[in-house]
Amino acid sequence: MEIFFQLVISGLVNGSIYGLVAIGFVLIYKCSAVLNFAQGNMVLIGAYLFWTFKVLLGLSLIPALALGIVCSFVAGMIIERVTLRPLVGQSLLAMITITIFLSLVLEGVTCIFWGSNPLSKVEIFPKGNVALGSLNVPLDNIFSFCFAFLVMIVLIIFFQRTRLGLAMRGVAEGHQVVQSLGIRVKSILTISWGIAGVAGSLGGVIIADKIGFELGLSHIGIAAIPAAFIGGLESPFGAILGGLTIGLIESIVSGYLGNAAGTPAAYVLLVIVMLFRPYGFFGLKRIERV
Amino acid sequence: MSGNTYYPPSGIYSDNYRKDTRILKTRKQVVLAFLALILLFLVPVVPGINSPYLLRLFIGAGIAAIICLGLNILTGYCGQLNVGQSSFVMVGAFTAGLLNYNYALPLWVTVIPAGLAASIAGLIFGAPSVRLKGLYLALTTLAAQIVLTWVALNFIDLASAGFSVEPPSIAGFYFDTPARFYYIAMAFVCVMTFLAKGIVRSGIGRAFMAIRDNDIAAEAMGINIFRYKLLAFLICTFYAGVGGAIFAHYMMWVQLESFLLIDSVWYVVMIIVGGLGSIEGTIFGVIFIVILKEIISVVGPMIEGGVSFLPTGAGSGFLLAAIGGAAILFLIVEPRGLAHRWKIIKSYYRLWPYGY
Repeated sequence: MEIFFQLVISGLVNGSIYGLVAIGFVLIYKCSAVLNFAQGNMVLIGAYLFWTFKVLLGLSLIPALALGIVCSFVAGMIIERVTLRPLVGQSLLAMITITIFLSLVLEGVTCIFWGSNPLSKVEIFPKGNVALGSLNVPLDNIFSFCFAFLVMIVLIIFFQRTRLGLAMRGVAEGHQVVQSLGIRVKSILTISWGIAGVAGSLGGVIIADKIGFELGLSHIGIAAIPAAFIGGLESPFGAILGGLTIGLIESIVSGYLGNAAGTPAAYVLLVIVMLFRPYGFFGLKRIERV
Repeated sequence: MSGNTYYPPSGIYSDNYRKDTRILKTRKQVVLAFLALILLFLVPVVPGINSPYLLRLFIGAGIAAIICLGLNILTGYCGQLNVGQSSFVMVGAFTAGLLNYNYALPLWVTVIPAGLAASIAGLIFGAPSVRLKGLYLALTTLAAQIVLTWVALNFIDLASAGFSVEPPSIAGFYFDTPARFYYIAMAFVCVMTFLAKGIVRSGIGRAFMAIRDNDIAAEAMGINIFRYKLLAFLICTFYAGVGGAIFAHYMMWVQLESFLLIDSVWYVVMIIVGGLGSIEGTIFGVIFIVILKEIISVVGPMIEGGVSFLPTGAGSGFLLAAIGGAAILFLIVEPRGLAHRWKIIKSYYRLWPYGY
């Protein structure tokens, strides 16, 4: 039973990171109806940018994090401007596939600048253990869980309470309506990609604290996709719940069936959920006309 | 993405539907097609281009072409994105490989079961297409990639270590060198290409295109969407399975590492660059990407070695960035792919010098 609780705890920690990355998916999907397959690579680049500021430039934690956030915001905006903007109004197929190709390019760029070998480790959260009843919980797990949740709550408050967040929700409803209200759809799209980049990079920094700075970080994009879908692609709140669900399932399944079984289990769950609730638990049901 | 608009030269008429849907419409086309076939099969005996290196490239391109033809029927003609094609290739390769490894069956026997096994996997993962479309369906194919890889890893003992497969043979004659295997690969490419041409000009192909253009309208016209979507998945994955079987017998070795998610992405890149909804475009795209890949995998390490400040792995970075960039460029600048360029060149040639 103790193993089970350990698995639950590590599942919740992983799940909070999945939720953070999944919010990146949701932000972009809400505004432009595109699933950003390159989100995992944005996670990777965000983490690597942070590493560059922290290790190569020798900054301390907070300035490095702040610079990393700014840079990944800019990187997200550049990506939108260069690749997605020319495709506005094109078929969905083109929009989806371009993000897949974008992930190739981003991975290539990462290899060119930072190489394919793992980078040196950076200690971000304090290490150690906390006794929680009979369980020993690693301190950095608690920190990363809290940090991820803090970021998610800030993002949701931003989405629900600020004018910019309201404009973004408006863009999600329909481009023409919002445009006629005097909101610049294009700049909103660009900004939302920037914010998705920030969400990705923060997730990347948290997960890099656990597994180190290496190319494998981008796999979290693949692993977080089920989280976004199970929660419903339109709902940031759903992304958090989806992330926690996926984290739990992955951790428990891989705890009992071996390490490689986690992500497949998440995908099996995804297919099952989609068969019965095609738009996830909190997603909007689309009604289509010819 | 539009269908084939072909303007024949003056004086050539199609006075019935059969004539209009012919693949080769004029006598000149028939002659040229035969010449091209002869040239294709002469390659291994022409000095200069029959080096094992080039022949291996051709064979690789041929196998990729078979796999991409199926993918283009599903994605280009029926409009269903598949980002897990290489997992279906894997199913075919493992089926053929295991049949050969355990029962010593030759390629001629294993190729059909390989295709069928891949089709069954395709039907399972295509079944959610009853309710899902677009993005959501693309995701189930991603699930196929991840789940099938895991299944192979856990339920086939030799999957990750790999096992050997015999090369195809006729009466003691083994097709084990690139020059010999070339004939088999190209024979399969020709057969599968004509099969694909036949499928897309038949009623099935028209139903696929109707579903692609608007599935609700297609259903209103009396097309059974579920059946045709499944059929598209079946055809697509059958091609993948056949490609996988040929790959297994060609490499004489099967292992899990040859069938990764990135390979599925390459196949999508190939059909996007070549042109969605075009059979000849598929071939162009495969050739283009294979050449590009080859050039960069030679040039990339040279740059990496020559420029001292680049980190290790920059060479493969160039490869990824260049191919991804090429695909993005094609999507933005020429979404109809090389096939459309080819049509423009052809019509220019046909109208020359009165091109207005």
